[in-house]
Amino acid sequence: MTTSPTQYAHPEVLVDADWIEKHRNDNDVRIIESNEDILLYDTGHIPGAVHIDWRTDLQDQVIRDYIAPDKFAELCSRNGITPDTTCIFYGDKANWWACYALWAFRLFGHEKVKILNGGRDKWKAEGRTMTREVSKYPQTNYPMPKKRFDKEIRAFADEALAQSKSGKPLIDVRSPGEFKGEITHMAEYPQEGVLRGGHIPGAKSVPWKTATNDDSTFKPAGDLAKIYLEQCGLKPGTDTVVYCRIGERSSHTWFVLTYLLGLDNVRNYDGSWTEWGNKVGAPIEKG
Amino acid sequence: MYPPKLEAIINLFESLPEIERRETLVSYADNAKQQEPRPGEKFALEDVRKDEECADTVGVYLQVDDEGTAHFRMTLGPEVQTLTRAMTAILCKGLDGRTPQEVLELPSDFVTRIVGAELVRVRSQTIYYVLTRIKGICKVYLDRQRMAAVA
Repeated sequence: MTTSPTQYAHPEVLVDADWIEKHRNDNDVRIIESNEDILLYDTGHIPGAVHIDWRTDLQDQVIRDYIAPDKFAELCSRNGITPDTTCIFYGDKANWWACYALWAFRLFGHEKVKILNGGRDKWKAEGRTMTREVSKYPQTNYPMPKKRFDKEIRAFADEALAQSKSGKPLIDVRSPGEFKGEITHMAEYPQEGVLRGGHIPGAKSVPWKTATNDDSTFKPAGDLAKIYLEQCGLKPGTDTVVYCRIGERSSHTWFVLTYLLGLDNVRNYDGSWTEWGNKVGAPIEKG
Repeated sequence: MYPPKLEAIINLFESLPEIERRETLVSYADNAKQQEPRPGEKFALEDVRKDEECADTVGVYLQVDDEGTAHFRMTLGPEVQTLTRAMTAILCKGLDGRTPQEVLELPSDFVTRIVGAELVRVRSQTIYYVLTRIKGICKVYLDRQRMAAVA
């Protein structure tokens, strides 16, 4: 019997718009916008926010992987970020890419990270100030991270397979149609070359959206506990792997499980369905 | 050879450095609303639908004047992405005054010259969407014209 929590495990990881208004000019705070719509930042953003693009800034441009530690240090340095900077991430699509960017920052060991609850949509809906002025900050000298925390928060295909074989929790956060194998991409999104549909054997379907309210904010702790702990059966201390199609929606769920519910050992399989659904011999369940 | 209005837009974009290219795309996106139908306008064809390739509903409206040249209007749902908004304004302006047949025969390689290699790479699936919809309505118009001529 689990007692439903009345507050998030790490409530300090969420900030609201009023907090941003009060702290956006603090020297040790950097607001970072990360979107799916690649030109959205250019159309207007929170004053003082910098733009980090998930493809061009966080991913290696040749190999399917994240940037190397020295490139991460360069990225932070040119955006005026130091290891002591609190990075507040926000973006479109209920913070998918904001969570993805936060997760990538955690991969490189950056510790001070937060999410603007409700993201860009809520900020805009509240009629808060936006600007087109591109924010510039004095260059810093962010030290090159000594390691990438792949082992701790990232899962690779062989690890997802091991998870499947051992019967440990695997959470598929895609839409029900993608999970069942009826479609290989989200409705409203282009088909991006996945050859097989379905899900990793043993995975449970918990679409990312079950964690959010209509205004893109996260559901209360009690609701999240009901969804993930009671209904889905996740337990603290058990290895859990989450995945979606390219790792962005699963970053959102990874954030919920790690920070809002306080589960340890949650890893994001960012190769996700675009890797699994194309991988020769990878076992697949449908329906 | 592209229609002169479109050629001018292509030349403009090709002359811009990447940052200004993005700024210009955003300016065009800002103007997408001006491409909506005006009160009282009548159209030969209207095609309003929500496709999987696009995040929201897109409406294409075709007007063909007495000289047989086409004029386009478009409506975009609120979720349509910025690049698609930009292409809407660019194509409504750039293709205005051409015949439906000319629009249909237009090669699509100019899109990459406007959008630029970087944005093409990250949004290769969606940048052709608006052109495809405009060509689609021209094709339906021409098919109907041919059927009417045969009947």
